[in-house]
Amino acid sequence: MNWYIKLTLVSFAICLITYTYHLIKIISRGKPKDFSESIGNVGSAVLYSFTRGMSPKKKESAYLHIPTYTAGMIYHLGTFLSIALFFLILIEVNFNLKINIVLSVLLFVSGFCGIGILIKRILKKELKALSNPDDYISNLLVTGFQLITAIHLLFYTPVYFIIVSIFLLYLPVGKLKHSIYFFAARYHLGFFYGRRGVWPPQNKV
Amino acid sequence: MTVLTKTNIDKGLAILKNTQDSKLITNLNSCVHCGLCGESCIYYLTYKDPRYLPAQKVDLITSIYKRYCTFIGKNIPFLTNAKDLDEKNLKEMVDLFFGACTMCGRCNLHCSIGVDIAYLVRTGRMMLAEMGYIPDTIQSTVDASINTGNNMGITKEEFIDTLNWLEDDLKDEVNDEKARIPVDEKDKNILYTLNPREPKFFPLSISAMAKIFYAAKESWTISTSMYDITNYGYFTGNKEEASIIVKRLFDEMKNLNAKELILAECGHGSRAFRWEGPNYLKNKYDFKTITSVELIADYIKTGRIKVDKEKLKQRITLHDPCNLVRNGGIVNEQRYIINQIAKDFVEMTPHGIDNLCCGGGGGQLAMSEYNERRMAIGERKADQIKNTSAQIVITPCHNCVDQLIQINSYYKLNVQIKTLAEIVADAIILE
Repeated sequence: MNWYIKLTLVSFAICLITYTYHLIKIISRGKPKDFSESIGNVGSAVLYSFTRGMSPKKKESAYLHIPTYTAGMIYHLGTFLSIALFFLILIEVNFNLKINIVLSVLLFVSGFCGIGILIKRILKKELKALSNPDDYISNLLVTGFQLITAIHLLFYTPVYFIIVSIFLLYLPVGKLKHSIYFFAARYHLGFFYGRRGVWPPQNKV
Repeated sequence: MTVLTKTNIDKGLAILKNTQDSKLITNLNSCVHCGLCGESCIYYLTYKDPRYLPAQKVDLITSIYKRYCTFIGKNIPFLTNAKDLDEKNLKEMVDLFFGACTMCGRCNLHCSIGVDIAYLVRTGRMMLAEMGYIPDTIQSTVDASINTGNNMGITKEEFIDTLNWLEDDLKDEVNDEKARIPVDEKDKNILYTLNPREPKFFPLSISAMAKIFYAAKESWTISTSMYDITNYGYFTGNKEEASIIVKRLFDEMKNLNAKELILAECGHGSRAFRWEGPNYLKNKYDFKTITSVELIADYIKTGRIKVDKEKLKQRITLHDPCNLVRNGGIVNEQRYIINQIAKDFVEMTPHGIDNLCCGGGGGQLAMSEYNERRMAIGERKADQIKNTSAQIVITPCHNCVDQLIQINSYYKLNVQIKTLAEIVADAIILE
């Protein structure tokens, strides 16, 4: 086995252990112990929180920012695709050239969405004021991960494994760990609004 | 204000290190700085200042969390903008958490992730409370509650006197010498609470509710020792003081042995007692607690009171109090009531759980140092009201009533502001 693949496997193991640590921290602390008398259905509200509550029609952060929202969605899909491909690459699954070209094009598009989001962060006054080095590093790593995956599909390169290793090591450290906390946040929001009968919206009277 | 000491800092940080459940740690680790929350916040919409972005408020508390509670923040603070809990940041926390957020929670719904931003601001206020950095103005309201039993410092004699003349008025209005406002009576179905603004400034809202109880032939009472539903301890984030206020009402329920506690038209008070109260006391209530809005809707639905559907001919709109609606789940009851009375009811845009805060929430009305800001952010609500062309604005919350009265005057809206009980009482058909 090449050293760079070993490096990637070690990075992946560290990432997995750190992620497990975050997961255990969330699960062991559990949900809030609420003594108030619930008037709603927490289960339905949590489901709503992950489904219709996430609908772009329901969120100003989506429908008032369609270009950013669209770019963000494509960017995230590109990340999921890159992660899936990472596992396939690790187990040496190979596609034919046509499929590789299609996947690469998709990843280039999502990578450019990432670059667009980065440019917006640099240019917009309020976003720049809000940003810290972690925001820029996270974007560069994820974008780099997608673009290098796209390149690697067409031209095998050991650089891929080095970039993926850095990405995996950084994943549980900075804001990229929202990939795990996001689910807990949606759950808590559903729990809160569910107990109070706010979510899912209904016509009670 | 307090001098910052190591002990003080530790007290503040203890709030951040809470391990009771995963809610705090989740919200402290979830914001991605997308900055898309701005349009959901009345402060940001008004001023367009990056400081007022909800995400900036989140960042203020998370940057301190990172500095003291994360490996990266402790060792490479610049990477995640981890900040020390120092005088400069405390000053910013006071200004943003107390002076630039009503904790309305609208940003929560629209956050791309689902961060409970209002909860984090409240956590920030709790830190400030622990460290002794609560603005004096709002603290004086809490002190009044703790020291006198109500936040207006109304004496018992003054309160009884007010109830006496209101009872005389009620007798005249319903033309029944037996009509009463029963005080301190035991074993009644209902113990009714009040916002002290009612006896102090809006006594007619007490007689309105008394008339509704009279028409419903309800068995009810008001306590003269503990009737105050407000709880500014909830706003300041001081759990101990908030608990004292909740406990007093809880004890009075026990003392008078009523079956149900009815929460007056007060958004934050309802929330503080119904939803936060059991958690302050770490105990489930063994009595029913509902809002007067739910009670009135039930009276109409079950036919216990009859209302004149032709009574209100003017155009009416409704302001949804954030704590009652978005944070309390009372969305449809007030609409049901209004539709039983008003012929021309127009909703604001947006409304319901997506409503815009009037600007009076989060204790803003008690903090005169932020009056200018409060009036500025009220412009959004003024525009909403104008766009409905309504002549009457109804809101089931006395804090909102106060803010809307001031907005009405400031922005020359020329509308009437009324509580739900007032319009129902006007429309009641006595048999």
